[in-house]
Amino acid sequence: MTEEEKANFLKRFGHSAKEFLYGMAGHDMTRFALKTRGSMEHLFILITMGDLLGIPILPPYYSLRLLPYVVPQISTWKRRMLRERDLTDALA
Amino acid sequence: MSLTKVFAEHPNRRYIEFGGKGGLGKTTFSAATAYWLAKRDHKVLVFSVDPQASLSDIFERDIFGKGAVEIMPNLYAQEINADQHIKEYQNEIRQKILDMYGFDEIPEEIENYIQAAAAEPAMEESAIFDAVVDIVVGEEYDYYIYDLVPLGHALYYLSMASVYDEWIDKITALREEMEEYSQVAALLERKDESEEDQILAELLDIKQRINTSSSILTDREKTAFFFVITPEEMIILDTLKAAKLFSKFDVPIAGYIVNRVIPAELAQQDIPDYLKNRIEMQDHYIEKIGETFGDEVLASVQEFDRDITGLEMIGKVADTLFGGVA
Repeated sequence: MTEEEKANFLKRFGHSAKEFLYGMAGHDMTRFALKTRGSMEHLFILITMGDLLGIPILPPYYSLRLLPYVVPQISTWKRRMLRERDLTDALA
Repeated sequence: MSLTKVFAEHPNRRYIEFGGKGGLGKTTFSAATAYWLAKRDHKVLVFSVDPQASLSDIFERDIFGKGAVEIMPNLYAQEINADQHIKEYQNEIRQKILDMYGFDEIPEEIENYIQAAAAEPAMEESAIFDAVVDIVVGEEYDYYIYDLVPLGHALYYLSMASVYDEWIDKITALREEMEEYSQVAALLERKDESEEDQILAELLDIKQRINTSSSILTDREKTAFFFVITPEEMIILDTLKAAKLFSKFDVPIAGYIVNRVIPAELAQQDIPDYLKNRIEMQDHYIEKIGETFGDEVLASVQEFDRDITGLEMIGKVADTLFGGVA
């Protein structure tokens, strides 16, 4: 094994180890952080755009200013807010 | 103390507000002050947010919803048309959505929301509030004269800033917390940085606008609020109550101006009892005003023998107003 191959091997090993450790420890945390972020996003849309579900939220003037940024999330948000809940929710 | 002296002693004041019950002469004094300042080479904007504004009437020009209109050199007047402002604002939002996502048309659901939001009762007030923010944060004029709506309504506008401020604070805090989670995820996934949160940027911008405008309107250095009163019991009592409420919102009350005073020299002439009694009653209340407001009374303006409309009459009112206590 030449020096270069050795270095290469160590690099790949290091990389794999990092990925392995991330999978062991970090991945779940990332998933949790993103999931929390997603829930908060929906909460945020609820308190700014609640009118879209028929919940009046004041003041609509400034809500409109934020509307362009949440356009892509509106449909998933509505689905999530208006969906019926069941046991499987606890597993998600 | 005279009004002229008050203006001379506070050269940093740029925002002048006239408030009081309806029909006492807020618009007249706003116009007269604007006239007086414009004649002294200051560039002045006098504006009103009242949907029943009377600036058009007093200047005898239709200026409703036409932006700042030049009335005479240095004197500009503006009446805000809330409906028009809302329509323009809705179109701005639509255009932004079309530009951001390359849509050909606004999705139906979103369009419905934009239309429904404009029908909300608070929309008009918010639009007016926002239009005023636009005006007062501008640096174009030496003086901004705010012809306020009648008392109760004016209080509503003043309190709006603090309500908005709290609301924006709350959702900004939530947004900031969301940003933290994004950063944690970005860190764990070893991305260099998370995307900039445009909503947070927008919220901070709204917050900054609200704070700027409310800090201007409560700044003792820059702003003066004058109450217009008349020598009548009800008006004096109501103004006292209003002054208390206004000071709760830190409105810098700078003085009181008495309007509609029947000229005292009339009493010397041969006049009917009806008028004599009015003058006697008035003397009593003028005394009461003196006791109540003391040297905060800056001017006393007589009842004129005709309507105050057109620049000539406005000029006459300005002479009386700034000539000191009659």
